[in-house]
Amino acid sequence: MISDRLKSVLLRELNLRDFDFQDATLAPQVPGWDSLRHISVVAAVEKEFDVRFKSLEVIKLKNIGDLQALVDRKLAAK
Amino acid sequence: MSLASFSWSRNETLWTRWCRHADADPEREAIAFVRAGEPTERWRWGELVQRARLYAGWLQAAGVATGDTCAIISRHHKEFFPVYMAISALVAIPAVLAYPNARLHPDKFRAGLVGMARHSGLNWILCESELTPTIAPLTQAAGSTVRGLLAPYEARLDHELTHAPQVSADAPGLLQHSSGTTGLQKAVVLSHRAILEHVSRYGRAIAANEQDRIVSWLPLYHDMGLIAAFQLPLALGIPTVQLDPFEWITAPILLPEALSAERGTLSWLPNFAYALMGARLREDELEGLSLAHLRMLINCSEPVRAEAHDALLQRLAPLGLRSTALAASYAMAEATFAVTQTPPGQRSKELTVSRDALTQGKVVIDPGSAPTRICVSSGVAIDGCEVRVVDAAGDALPEREVGELAIRSLSMFDGYRNRQDLTAEVVRDGWYYTGDYGFRHGDEWFVVGRKKDLIIVAGKNLYPEDIENEIATVDGAIPGRVVAFGRYDAETGTEHVCAVAETSVPEPAQQALRERIVAAVQRIDVTLSELHLVPPRWLIKSSSGKPSRSANRDRLLASAADKD
Repeated sequence: MISDRLKSVLLRELNLRDFDFQDATLAPQVPGWDSLRHISVVAAVEKEFDVRFKSLEVIKLKNIGDLQALVDRKLAAK
Repeated sequence: MSLASFSWSRNETLWTRWCRHADADPEREAIAFVRAGEPTERWRWGELVQRARLYAGWLQAAGVATGDTCAIISRHHKEFFPVYMAISALVAIPAVLAYPNARLHPDKFRAGLVGMARHSGLNWILCESELTPTIAPLTQAAGSTVRGLLAPYEARLDHELTHAPQVSADAPGLLQHSSGTTGLQKAVVLSHRAILEHVSRYGRAIAANEQDRIVSWLPLYHDMGLIAAFQLPLALGIPTVQLDPFEWITAPILLPEALSAERGTLSWLPNFAYALMGARLREDELEGLSLAHLRMLINCSEPVRAEAHDALLQRLAPLGLRSTALAASYAMAEATFAVTQTPPGQRSKELTVSRDALTQGKVVIDPGSAPTRICVSSGVAIDGCEVRVVDAAGDALPEREVGELAIRSLSMFDGYRNRQDLTAEVVRDGWYYTGDYGFRHGDEWFVVGRKKDLIIVAGKNLYPEDIENEIATVDGAIPGRVVAFGRYDAETGTEHVCAVAETSVPEPAQQALRERIVAAVQRIDVTLSELHLVPPRWLIKSSSGKPSRSANRDRLLASAADKD
């Protein structure tokens, strides 16, 4: 389940009006979310939640659900 | 020890050259294969060539013959390297194609392959088995040149090639595509001689030596990755460290980490990578890394920007990156690779010139208070390459005048495969007319713009026609009334794709139309960063009656400037 807060930061960073983010959504399925944009999207998520991801953690993300789970883990560890 | 004496016999092929390395020093490292979070795996020359012989035996048994063109579609894989070399061992022609990412619609991927198969004459497709269902219909299509689909990574390798076919060094050594996405690809075939000639001369231009280690994340379907970071080190016997392009773009820190861990001395990057790493690498990630061994970081494949060099230097100087390592090269698949190169040990030269004079084709250096632009030199012509600047009539222009760059090289291509029409458009009297604008200052060459409409995004060449055709299929866009072009974005250090489309759709429904257009372009793996919907007859037409990309781009820029 993608939180409203994560959805909102993704929409803002990608200049989208709306998008139906699901756990299984892949970044390339989202308009504007290409490989060049990926790093700035991840940085925006880190900033929003005030967390830091390791490069390997980012590489292993397969879908938006993984990103949500990573955010949740980082917040729980705070 | 310098490799300046690198010599190759006139009859040598790539394969015989590689075998020579394996025979001379089988334990010497050839390729380091890096995957994030895993131990680096290393191919030594002896085992690499032996493995390639096994794949060659398997390919031969499958029916691959001398002269066949074999496309390889693969993600980052340790076995890719011996498979590629095995094709060479059979004196067949390897052609690396991009692996389709999830954005690319399977139909569009297939359409691109059909175009390539037709124009490039592909005979075999070697791929990972999960692509088989997508590609298989191709082999059954009427008139297809593709004879078979092979999955080498799952092959049982039980006998090796014992006698490699003997051919002249003038035989085709590889095929690479210069650009294009869905059917406009141009295939360049290079002979073994042209490749060895080139890497020998280019190796001297960068003073390649036995202490060198190349580190690269570049994709091997691109000439910069294939020639500079793969063919050159293999021919010269320099180790090359190969990273995964997808992993690097996700985590750019992987390059400084690999350069540090592997003591890398040489690396090639497109301009956007400088901007990206300059902006995004974090100090805590860089702690403990050293770039003290890095002697050349070569900016190539996109227009070179001074601010991108500055940004990266500022970020990485604390790691020991020297300003004199910031080099540049002007290169193209049609010349095998490099045409010019910054000499080792000096930073690429920068000239501050009048922006207004430049638009008039004149180079006025240090113009005082007038608006200026910093032009970065791509270096001097490498041995065996000639460059000249010509006007519209093809006559040579003097120093400090802007015109089209034309080149002549000992390692020039023989023409686009099966496309004499396209070849005739760009090759005249032995000179290749690049479609790039530039000028000469002293013996340094500067590239400042483009005559052709090609869009270069993060080093990837895109044809605007492909994008326009996709938009034209969208309900609501007026067919034939759309233009696409590139605009430089200083933040990302590369161009982004803009389009202007005429529509009669009323304002309230335009948001939905926008979303349909963005999604359509996404299906060919292109991100549309700017879309302008305009009323019918808004677009300026060229003399041919079609909407003019340059005139409409200028109109948009002027209108944006007015608003500012």
